[in-house]
Amino acid sequence: MLGSAMTPALELRQLSKDYAIRTGGHFIPRYEAISVVKNVDLVLPQNKIVAVVGESGSGKTTTGMLALRLIEPTSGQILLHGTDITTFDHKALKPFRRSMQVIFQDSYSALNPMMTLAQIVAEPLYIHGIGSSSEQRTVALEWLERVGLHRNYGQRYPHELSGGQRQRVAIARALILKPTVLIADEPTSALDVSVKAQIINLLLDLQRDMGLAIMFISHDLSVVRSLADNVVVMFNGRIVEQAPTEAIFSDARHPYTRSLLDAIPVRNPRDRRIRKFLSREEIAAAIPRISNKSSNGLETQQLVSVSKDHLVEAIVAA
Amino acid sequence: MILFIAKRLASTLITFLIVSIIIFLMMHAVPGGPFDGNDMPVSEAVRAKLMAQLGLDKPLYVQYFKYMYGVFHFDFGVPFQSPGETVLELLARAWPASLILGGSGMLIGVPLGILLGMMAALKRNSWVDYLASAVATLGLTVPVFVTSMLLILVFAVWLEWLPAKGWGEPRNWILPIIAYATIPMATYARYTRSAMLDTLNKPFVTVLRAKGLSESRIIFQHVLRNSAIPMVTVFLPMFVGIATGSIFVEAMFRVPGLGAYFVSSIRNRDYPLEMALMLMITVLFCLSYLISDIAYAWLNPRIRLDGRKS
Repeated sequence: MLGSAMTPALELRQLSKDYAIRTGGHFIPRYEAISVVKNVDLVLPQNKIVAVVGESGSGKTTTGMLALRLIEPTSGQILLHGTDITTFDHKALKPFRRSMQVIFQDSYSALNPMMTLAQIVAEPLYIHGIGSSSEQRTVALEWLERVGLHRNYGQRYPHELSGGQRQRVAIARALILKPTVLIADEPTSALDVSVKAQIINLLLDLQRDMGLAIMFISHDLSVVRSLADNVVVMFNGRIVEQAPTEAIFSDARHPYTRSLLDAIPVRNPRDRRIRKFLSREEIAAAIPRISNKSSNGLETQQLVSVSKDHLVEAIVAA
Repeated sequence: MILFIAKRLASTLITFLIVSIIIFLMMHAVPGGPFDGNDMPVSEAVRAKLMAQLGLDKPLYVQYFKYMYGVFHFDFGVPFQSPGETVLELLARAWPASLILGGSGMLIGVPLGILLGMMAALKRNSWVDYLASAVATLGLTVPVFVTSMLLILVFAVWLEWLPAKGWGEPRNWILPIIAYATIPMATYARYTRSAMLDTLNKPFVTVLRAKGLSESRIIFQHVLRNSAIPMVTVFLPMFVGIATGSIFVEAMFRVPGLGAYFVSSIRNRDYPLEMALMLMITVLFCLSYLISDIAYAWLNPRIRLDGRKS
């Protein structure tokens, strides 16, 4: 199932998602399509961490759900290790689901409150029919230990744990099938700072041990800086900039990326400056333009290359 | 667990005593007495003699203790309106009709309502959902005596398929049971729909989908049990309704059940029967809440019965 070493673990090609919203009409409703995700191209290389950042509503979570085939895309392709899984039905998809897993921000509602932790962690093995039920339990307890919980916790219920402990359980459940792709949707946003660091270290350790590719969805740029290899910035459902992490922090080109960076709290109060938060209109006006104002009036927004691996959205005149 | 049940039974006894005092006082606070009605006028002398015979001339607290002494020996007295039998005999005679009506109504209405609610939740915003919601809203808003009259009009008067009243043979049972079943069905359809939608939107369900568990297994193994708590909450008061009978349905279809006695015992100041009926409801309510608390603990590990913080 795995492609060669060069095949990306996960690749999204021109992926779009439209929703129909009702815009009027009394007896015969009128609908209009709004794009939540627009022509997203994203490459998640094997064994790398790619962060997807952006504000709420920028389409980053939808992109994750699309990649997992939990939402049907309007157009575009999803390639898992080179296999196009976009049109697979439930049955065909099931073996591929083993290699792609997810963790969520809200660790409490992500765990069935009526199951013990051992049952929760063993559930993926049960779903895929791996091992007898006692073997499943043994593996589940091993995984609890691997994510830093005592095996006695197997008897407990989710409500007995702290947020960080619950997130560890969610990680164990996600990784028990030994996936190669992990979609982490803001896994640390609900945690306090010290626990956040522990969870990130755990994820990094497991990523190194297992050779995981992680799509790390977040709005927390300081977390992103500490773990991502590449950063993809989303705004209004589009990718507006993508680059290696250091390039984003040192050489951001898109006005939206810059305003995101400006929003990072400054440590020293003396250095605090009056920060500028751009409105949508201001951002739209400040998008870089290439060439003069076009003579024939045809302009397209597209990603252009700034340097190697650094793409930024610009308005290009034809 | 056993300690919990023992504690709850003790508190049921206390509730029972408090309720009995309140009902007894209210009964006697209402003006008038059993022999003040105009339909059977009695002379002052006869009235006084009757009151003395029934012990109604004694101070209230004496009457209360005398009655409660009887209650704890399973003697609820003799109903004034039917002196040929004891209260217990009257209940034994009238209760079966109410139980059959209410029990069958629940047996049909609850599963039907759950099914309707499940279909509505799974096919959200489709015609199935709209139809189920319309049925549920109609069932909750249209009073049951209107439903009863419509059923009588259509099936008894126009189509002449079924008798409009009576309780002699099972043919008589069909219409009142359908009328009764609309209430639990409508209630359950609404609660099931909202509880299931709530659970279906939880991330743990999304995780199950991401792991490739089939939709039907997700529903039956994970969603239903997590949605069951509100269903238990509405079940138990309804369960008491079975035992007490539906006054309206019984009146519309002339079912010789318990319902009519609630009204007549109050109107006729039939103190022994009134007390017995109220105390019966009290006990049934207390027991039904005890059962629902145990059901909650079984359904939801966050609830611990012994009050120990877990």
